[in-house]
Amino acid sequence: MNISTRWLREWVNPDVSDLALSEKLTMAGLEVDQIAPVAPPFEGLVVGHVVNCGKHPNADKLSLCEVDIGGNENLQIICGAPNVRKDLKVAVATVGSVLPNKLKIKRAKLRGVESNGMICSESEMGISDNHEGIIELEANAKIGDNVRTVLDLDDQIIEFDITPNRGDCFSALGVAREVCVNYDLDLPELNFKAEQRGNKSFKSKVSNPKECPRYLTRVIEGVDNNATTPEWMAQKLLRSSQQLHSPIVDITNYVLLELGQPMHAFDLSKINGGINVRSAKKNEPLELLNGQSVNLSEQTLVIADEKSAIAIAGVIGGMGTSTLENSTEILLESAFFEPVAIAGIARSYGLHTDASLRFERGVDFNMTRQAMERATELVLEICGGVASAINETLDSKSLPKLEPIQISIEKIAKVLGFDLDPAWVESKFKFLDFEFKANKNNSWTITPPSFRFDIRIPADIIEELARLYGYDKIPVQRLAIDANISNASQTKITSNDLSSALVNRGYKEVITYSFISNEMHDLIDPKAKKILLKNPISDDMAVMRSSLWSGLIVSAQSNIRRGHHNSRFFETGLCFSGTKVEDQVQKIAGIISGNRYDPQWAGADRAVDFFDAKSDVQALLTQSKQDYSFEVAEHPALQMGQTAKIMKGKVQVGWIGALSPKLQGKLSMPAAFLFELTQSEIEQGETPSYESFSSFQASQRDIAIVVSKEVSADELIHSIRSLKQADLIDVNLFDIYEGEHIEQGSKSVALNLTYQSSELTLTDEQLAKKVSKIVAHLETKFSAKLRV
Amino acid sequence: MINKIITDATKAIAGAMDLKALDDSRVQYLGKKGKLTDLLKGLGRLSKEERPAMGEAINEAKVQIQKLIEIRKEELEEVLLNQRLLDERVDVTLPARNSEKGSLHPITQTLNHIQDIFSKAGFEIEIGPEIEDDFHNFSALNIPEHHPARAMHDTFYFDSNTVLRTHTSPVQIRTLERQKPPVRVIAPGKVYRCDSDVTHTPMFHQVEGLIVDKEASFSQLKGLLIDFLRAYFEKDDLKVRFRPSYFPFTEPSAEADIECVICNGDGCRVCKKSGWLEVLGCGVVHPNVLKAVNIDSEEYSGFAFGMGVERLAMLRYSVNDLRLFFENDVRFLNQF
Repeated sequence: MNISTRWLREWVNPDVSDLALSEKLTMAGLEVDQIAPVAPPFEGLVVGHVVNCGKHPNADKLSLCEVDIGGNENLQIICGAPNVRKDLKVAVATVGSVLPNKLKIKRAKLRGVESNGMICSESEMGISDNHEGIIELEANAKIGDNVRTVLDLDDQIIEFDITPNRGDCFSALGVAREVCVNYDLDLPELNFKAEQRGNKSFKSKVSNPKECPRYLTRVIEGVDNNATTPEWMAQKLLRSSQQLHSPIVDITNYVLLELGQPMHAFDLSKINGGINVRSAKKNEPLELLNGQSVNLSEQTLVIADEKSAIAIAGVIGGMGTSTLENSTEILLESAFFEPVAIAGIARSYGLHTDASLRFERGVDFNMTRQAMERATELVLEICGGVASAINETLDSKSLPKLEPIQISIEKIAKVLGFDLDPAWVESKFKFLDFEFKANKNNSWTITPPSFRFDIRIPADIIEELARLYGYDKIPVQRLAIDANISNASQTKITSNDLSSALVNRGYKEVITYSFISNEMHDLIDPKAKKILLKNPISDDMAVMRSSLWSGLIVSAQSNIRRGHHNSRFFETGLCFSGTKVEDQVQKIAGIISGNRYDPQWAGADRAVDFFDAKSDVQALLTQSKQDYSFEVAEHPALQMGQTAKIMKGKVQVGWIGALSPKLQGKLSMPAAFLFELTQSEIEQGETPSYESFSSFQASQRDIAIVVSKEVSADELIHSIRSLKQADLIDVNLFDIYEGEHIEQGSKSVALNLTYQSSELTLTDEQLAKKVSKIVAHLETKFSAKLRV
Repeated sequence: MINKIITDATKAIAGAMDLKALDDSRVQYLGKKGKLTDLLKGLGRLSKEERPAMGEAINEAKVQIQKLIEIRKEELEEVLLNQRLLDERVDVTLPARNSEKGSLHPITQTLNHIQDIFSKAGFEIEIGPEIEDDFHNFSALNIPEHHPARAMHDTFYFDSNTVLRTHTSPVQIRTLERQKPPVRVIAPGKVYRCDSDVTHTPMFHQVEGLIVDKEASFSQLKGLLIDFLRAYFEKDDLKVRFRPSYFPFTEPSAEADIECVICNGDGCRVCKKSGWLEVLGCGVVHPNVLKAVNIDSEEYSGFAFGMGVERLAMLRYSVNDLRLFFENDVRFLNQF
């Protein structure tokens, strides 16, 4: 909300600068976003009277003016504005003055004719962007007066960022109250009373009194809506960023800004019969003041005449009953609508109005009548007319209850951490308009004023005291030490442990959005359940990811497009298989593509392959010191034959594989390798338990066998291990060979067996016997042939 | 005779230019058929009186020649070693083999920094789901339906009761549902708002903090956050101010500003000429929040705070465009 300091100071005028005032309010919780002067600094502009205005002898578009600025003789000034004319009051920049755009006014000759000054436009004065013509001052402006004074330009506009709890501050009155509380000043008493000469009655009823406990109307006949909104009002409206309309609308807007009470004026002649405040009928049509046509929902409270809805209560009026220039009979409305009844209604129609903003946060329900009197007073003053009596429909039991609140000095001290002086507390209660009764032991019973919807419980009162005391003055205390030592598991692999492992292997961490496009979802994980956002920002961000691969692929893609072909990225984050807590699982995933290393002097370039990715995965898996295995599998995003499930026993913990050629084509991606692991499945390690080692010599034996290509390395090794041969402590596969001398469809596998006994040094014969048992086993199980 | 041998040997040893030549000289003088050995063999022909003196002289010569050979050997080895060192020189400025240039995302680094600081003050780390229900994200935090604060949250919905969490504050509720006071936790994580422009991304990160204890006051909250901000920005005299503000789930509520770290409080574009930067929100836990998790607000009190991680990262690393964090351009990532 914007308000000019001049307006504010008409209400209450503390003896401090505007800047100090705005800082004080910010520190008291009424945040000032900005304070800006109405006009930039300039001097030397005075009111001039165009005594004569004729054509420039040598230029068609220029006028030759004789201007009286109250000096000994009139000035001859050349002016190029189309609206300059005889008898106009204008702003004259005299010779020697400097305009905000740094233009210094000099005596000059324009097309051969002397000019002694300049007649200014609003843009030349820096007060608006309007440069269509010179500014036309009011006819009664006094010749020779300083234009800054005449236009009231030594004013500043404060822009407030008002928090949702302080609906009471959306008005000049509300801000003035805050100023009073902060500077211990008293607010002038409000007592508006308009002359009432008419006797036209108007029937209104309220069908939903809980939602509209108080509803006031008043007929004013014989108004002239062609009148001009007075300068003082126009200026205040404009400086509060409120556009000008007709005087009747300006007056209702003015009362809203002045007192915080939204008002509405209907053209009485367009209302059919009396008014009923009721719920809208389902899909009831209404054309709004802004031209929008809506079909109302039943939750909407409307103002209706006997035929149809004519306004959305507390939000916006209808087009059909709006006042126009020729309106002469008006019906003013001032009401209290219950905040909960109004909340969300405006937004449901895509609206956000000054009225809804205030009603949603709470409008003073004791201001309704004062606002009506104030608006009437202004209508009569500006547009003339005759006002009839106010018609009030009141259901006092539906008005908000102002229940007493108990608060003690101890409670205040407990929450704030220090003691406040009870005398100071009471003085602030007084300036806050709190009704209070002092009880024993420095405690009080407080009733909040009707304009404070945010004061209902003791904490609300403590907050008031804290902010008025000044947060910066509240002493600082240290936390007492928390001596509880929580469980610090040594065996838990943290997110940081996993990330560090990948960073040390050259991966860069990326962070991508958790929502992805439909296309990506369908390409990467088509079988996963689609968790769709109801209101996505765009189609590209519509589905919650079930896998981190989508973001990783997009990251690699965009970097490749920029010429960075060697990708090594990883991400950790939640993936979603549903909306329940247990459906949100933390994963860690990576992508590699391009060459394993940047070009370098010490080795040849080599494209990354499956086993680079596998080695990185193992770097993650080995941290927990558990046994994991890789099983041949198929995945829609991965290439058949280069895809594996990563297993811990019978539980799948992740995937690894090459991006399938089909997806490479669709995504314009080069060969890439992906992995993904479920963090909770790999984060539990084991506490090591020492076992003594043998002091006898270990022996190595190598065997080479030929088996079918279909037999996997894991199968061979597991099968050997499953024999549980005594003293066999390690099996290592160290060579694979296919090609010459090896039958088609077969491969040669070289295995290294390590034997060690804890009791003796094994002899060659003992070793040979053990090895031959293993060979025999492989021959039986895999039809293996020993290579000699 | 001996002197001649010594002179010749000395010359030969000095003239040996490699170990082979030196060894040849050794053989020539000290070997089985060497000149000194010959002399030694001839001792028997000398008289009994001459023999001891001669023997001693030969032995002395032998020792002397041996020593010369030793010295020369060291000299020659030194030369050889020097040559080898020359031959084996490398350009130590060449890049390392297979150097890895991995990095953690700047947001992760910032989160780690924040977590480290709070861990030292005894805070545990809690995380919560990102898809939340209405109760945890709003109602339990004293944001009932139609509360104006809801409109300010630009919420992503799945259905009327299920949202992407708009802040990390629901973790407060989840923690208090599970754990009885005293509670001292921080909750880092992703949050979502339906808003995307130059200064907003639809996903960003927050760190929430919560203390619930028998004595937890606004004064302590101030002390903790001043200490935190000074530790985070590594500036012991960083100016911090607290301004009243509004959050539905705290009361009294405050926003903490720090003196602008870009202009040191003089006023610049980043701080909108105010000299202050808003960095976090905080306050005393609202009684309705404690009530929602069945904690007696007469017995216990608490305070909570929340901060935007991107904002802190931008200030610390001089990043001037929020969107860079989510574009994952390696030219950006490489700098952290």
